[in-house]
Amino acid sequence: MRREIFALGVVVLSFVVFPASLFAYQAWRTNALDARVIELTANVPANGGWQPDTIRVHLGERVRLRISSTDVVHGFAVPALGIQVDEILPGHVEEVEFVASRAGRFPFACTRWCSVDHWRMRGVIEVIDPQNPNPASPTFAPPLYQQLNVNIDAAHPARNVPSEHPSAVRGAVLAEQITVDADTRTQSPSDVFAKLRADAALKSYGDLQLWDAIAFEWKRAAGDDAIARGRQLYARDCAACHGESGKGDGPAGRNLPGRTVIDASARRGPADFTNAAQMLGASDVLLQGKILRGGMGTGMPEWRSLYTDQDMWDVISFIRGFVFEYGMSDKK
Amino acid sequence: MMPWLRGRRPLIAASAALLTLAAIFVPLPARAGTPQTRTINVDARQFAFEPATLDVQHGDTVTLHLESLDALHGLSIDGYDVNIQAEPGKSANVTFVADKAGTFKFRCSVTCGALHPFMIGKLTVEPDLPLARAIAVTLIAALGAIAFFWKE
Amino acid sequence: MTMSRFELTRIPIIKKILASRWLQWSLIAITLPVFLLSILAGLFGTPAGSRNFGIVFVWIVWWALLILLMLPFAGRLWCAMCPIPAPGEWLQRRALVQPRERGRLDTLGLKWPRRLNNIWLQNATFLAVALFSVVILTTPMVSALVLALFAIIALSISLLFERRTFCRYLCPVGGFIGLYSQLAPIEVRVKNHAVCVTHKEKTCYVGSDAGYGCPWLVFPAALDKNTYCGLCTECLKTCPLDNVALFARPFGADLLANKGRRLDEAYKAFIMLTCALAYSIVLIGPWSILREMAYAVGSMGWWLYAAGFLAVNLAVVPGIFLACVLVGKKMGRVIASTRKLFVDYAYALVPLGLAAWAAFSFSFVLTNLSYAWQALSDPFGWGWNLFGTANWSWTPYLAGWQGMLQVPMLLVGLVGAIAVAFRTAREQRASPRVALPIVAFCIAFTLALVGLYL
Repeated sequence: MRREIFALGVVVLSFVVFPASLFAYQAWRTNALDARVIELTANVPANGGWQPDTIRVHLGERVRLRISSTDVVHGFAVPALGIQVDEILPGHVEEVEFVASRAGRFPFACTRWCSVDHWRMRGVIEVIDPQNPNPASPTFAPPLYQQLNVNIDAAHPARNVPSEHPSAVRGAVLAEQITVDADTRTQSPSDVFAKLRADAALKSYGDLQLWDAIAFEWKRAAGDDAIARGRQLYARDCAACHGESGKGDGPAGRNLPGRTVIDASARRGPADFTNAAQMLGASDVLLQGKILRGGMGTGMPEWRSLYTDQDMWDVISFIRGFVFEYGMSDKK
Repeated sequence: MMPWLRGRRPLIAASAALLTLAAIFVPLPARAGTPQTRTINVDARQFAFEPATLDVQHGDTVTLHLESLDALHGLSIDGYDVNIQAEPGKSANVTFVADKAGTFKFRCSVTCGALHPFMIGKLTVEPDLPLARAIAVTLIAALGAIAFFWKE
Repeated sequence: MTMSRFELTRIPIIKKILASRWLQWSLIAITLPVFLLSILAGLFGTPAGSRNFGIVFVWIVWWALLILLMLPFAGRLWCAMCPIPAPGEWLQRRALVQPRERGRLDTLGLKWPRRLNNIWLQNATFLAVALFSVVILTTPMVSALVLALFAIIALSISLLFERRTFCRYLCPVGGFIGLYSQLAPIEVRVKNHAVCVTHKEKTCYVGSDAGYGCPWLVFPAALDKNTYCGLCTECLKTCPLDNVALFARPFGADLLANKGRRLDEAYKAFIMLTCALAYSIVLIGPWSILREMAYAVGSMGWWLYAAGFLAVNLAVVPGIFLACVLVGKKMGRVIASTRKLFVDYAYALVPLGLAAWAAFSFSFVLTNLSYAWQALSDPFGWGWNLFGTANWSWTPYLAGWQGMLQVPMLLVGLVGAIAVAFRTAREQRASPRVALPIVAFCIAFTLALVGLYL
C-alpha cells in the first residue's frame, strides 16, 4: 500500500504540482520585478498586428515591455521615448524598460519589413496623468507645406532637366566660382537652376556645370552626417517599396497603385527617385509634405507620427542623392 | 559456422562489396568546360525560394543575389559556408566557388512563420557525381542481393 | 523453424528489471511529465513552432528516438513507456504498481467488435493525422489539441472497453510501430511451448496476484511475431513457471515465415511506404506549392492535395504493386491466389518502409535538432533560460553529409526487402522469378528516394 501511495504521489506531482510550478515560475518572474510588466505580441498586420496596440500606463510608472513575435522577425520603436529594439525573433522575448516620465501619446511601430502591410503595424503608448486624465490635445504648428501653401498633390514637373544626372563631386570643384545662393528647403532645384541661368555673371558656365553646383549645394547644406542618417532611415522604412536604388521598384511596392489614384494616366507604383524630371521640380518642403501626410490611397503611409522634422529632412537629403550624384560610399 | 554463407554466397558478397567500393572511389572527371562566373537572382517569400532549383557547374564562381518579397528571410546552403539574410529593401549578395559537386539543399535560416522549416530549395553542382555513384551503388546492392538471396 | 536467439533474461540484472512491477510505472513517470509539458507548451506557449517545446520535443526529439532508435532496435519499446494510455490503464486497475487481487480490472469491459479486430481503423486514423500533418507539425496549438485528443480517446476507450483496446485497434502510431517491430532484434516469447500446454490457469492471459492478463489481448504462448506485443512484460510477471522470456534475435526475424499475413497489415505497409515518399516530396523537396496546398486546410488546393494523397496511398501504390504481383505470377508458376501473393509480398515492404522513414527522418531531424536546446531552456518561448541554452542558434547538424548517410540506410532496407521477397517465394514453393517484379518495385522506390535526397 505504501508503494501505491508513493507511485500515486509521483503521478499527482507530475499532473498537478509540475504544471502549477511552471506557471508559478512565470508569475514569479513577473511579480518579482519592481516594474509593471506588459506583454506585447507582434503579429503581421494580417494577423492582428500589435497585441495590444494601445498600451495605457500611468505617469511615473516604471514599465517593462516583454515583446515577442509569433511569426516573422519584427522590430519595435517608440521614437518619442527613444526606445528601439532592432530584432524580435519569433519565439524569443525582448525586454525593454522605461519610466513613463511625461504624459502624452507616443506612437510605436514595427521597424522590420514583416509583410506587404508592414507599415500598418503601429500602436500607441498612452501615458496618463491621474491628476489630469483628459488633457487638451496639444496643438502643433501646421506643417511647412501648409504654411507655404504648397499643393503636394499637384504634378511638379521640372522646368529644366539636365542632360545627365548632376554630380555633387564635380560641383565641389566649381563651388569656389559659382555661388548658389538659394534656400534648399523651399526652392526646387529646377527653380534654383532657372535663377542661376538668368544670372548674366554665370553665362560662361554650361548648364550641366550649373546643375553640378546645385547638386553640391544640396549636399553641402544637408551635411554628410544627415545624409548618412537618411540612408539608414531610407533602408529601414522606404527601400522596400521605393527600391534600394530609388527606382520605385522595391518588392513591397509592386502591387501599390501609386499616383494612379490621383491621376489615372500616372505611372503605377511608388515614386521613382531617379526620375530627374520629377525630382528636380519638387522642393524639399513638398517632399516633406508627402512624407508626413502620406499618400491618401497611393500606398504611401504617413510618417508624421513617427518621424521628427529632422528625420524627414535627413531622408530627403539622402533621396536627393539618387539624382544628385553625391559620390558617397554605399557602405554604412 | 554461418550456414547462410554457403556455396557461391561469399563470392557474391565479396564481388558486390568490391564493386561498391569501385563505384564510390573510382575517379571521374569533375567537369567538362572552363569555370564561369555567374550571378543568380533568388527571390525569397513565405515559404519558397524562386527559383527553388539552381544549377551550376563545378568550379564556377557563383554570386547569389537574394531579395525578399515579404519579411526577413535567410539562405543557407547545406555543405557550403553560405548564409545570408535579406528583407524587403535590404537585399543581400554572397559569392562563393562551387568547389563541391553534388546536390545541396538550401534553406531559410531565419524563422519566418509556420512553414519555415520546410522553406527549402536545392542547388545542384554539376556533374552530380555523388548522385551517379549513389545510383550505381544502389543497383550493385540490388543485383548483389538478388544473386545472394535467389536460392537458399 | 529454428532460429538463433539468446535469452536476455538469463542475465540476472535484466531479469530483475523486467520482473519488477516498478518497471513500466517508472518509464511512464518519466514520459508523462514530458507529455504534459508538450501539451501545456502547445496550448499556452509561443505559436512559433520551432521555439515551442510541444513541437520540438514531440515531432523532432521523440520522433527521432522512435524512428531511428527505439523502433529498429527495440520494436514496441515506446508502447511500454507511452504515457497516453497510462491514466486509463491505472483507472482500470485502480492501482499503479501493485496488482489487485488476481489482476482484476475496473472497466465496463466491453469487447471490441469482432469486425474491427484488425488494424484497418489504425490505417484510417494514421491517414487522418497524415492528411493534416503539415499543420500538426508546425502549429503548437493544433499539435497540443491532437495529443490531448489522443489522451482523451484513450481514456474513454479504457473505461468502456477491456484492457488496451485503444493501443491495439485505434492508436494511429501503434499500427506502424507494430508493423515495423517485426524487424527488431528483440522479442518476448515463451521458452518452451510444452510447458504452457500443461499450465491450465493461463495466468498470462487472465492475470494473477502477480500481475495482469495480457493488456494487449495476446495469448503469449501463441506469440510468433512482435506485431501486437506491447513489451509491457506483464506475462513475465504472471507466468508462475518462469516460461516467458525476453530474447535477442536477428533483425527481421518475424518476416522469415509467411505466417499470419493479413491484408490490413499489408495496407499498413503500403501506407507507410507511400507516406515516406510523399513527405520526402512535399516537406523537404523543392516544390513549395505542394507544402502550401498541404498547409491550407480547407482550401481548394488542400482538397486536391488530400484527394491525391489518399489516392496515391490507397490505390496508386497498391495498384502498381498489384501489377508487379500479376507480372510475377505470370513469370513463374504459382499455386497461391493473387490475393495471397499480394498480401504475402507486401511484407517485403516492411524493411524498405522503415529504412525510408529512417532516412527521411534522419535529414529532417538532424536539420532541426538544434532547436531542442532552445526549447529545453525556454519550453514556452516566454523568455526563460533554465539551462543557459535558450539563445543557442539554429545549426543544421551534418549539413551536406546527410545524403551520404541516408543512402546506406535505404540500401539496408532494400537488401532486406529483396531478402524477404525471395524468402516469401520460397515459402510459397514458387520460383524466385515470381519475386522479381516485386524486387524491381523496391529498387525503383529506392532510386526515387535516392534522387530526392541527393
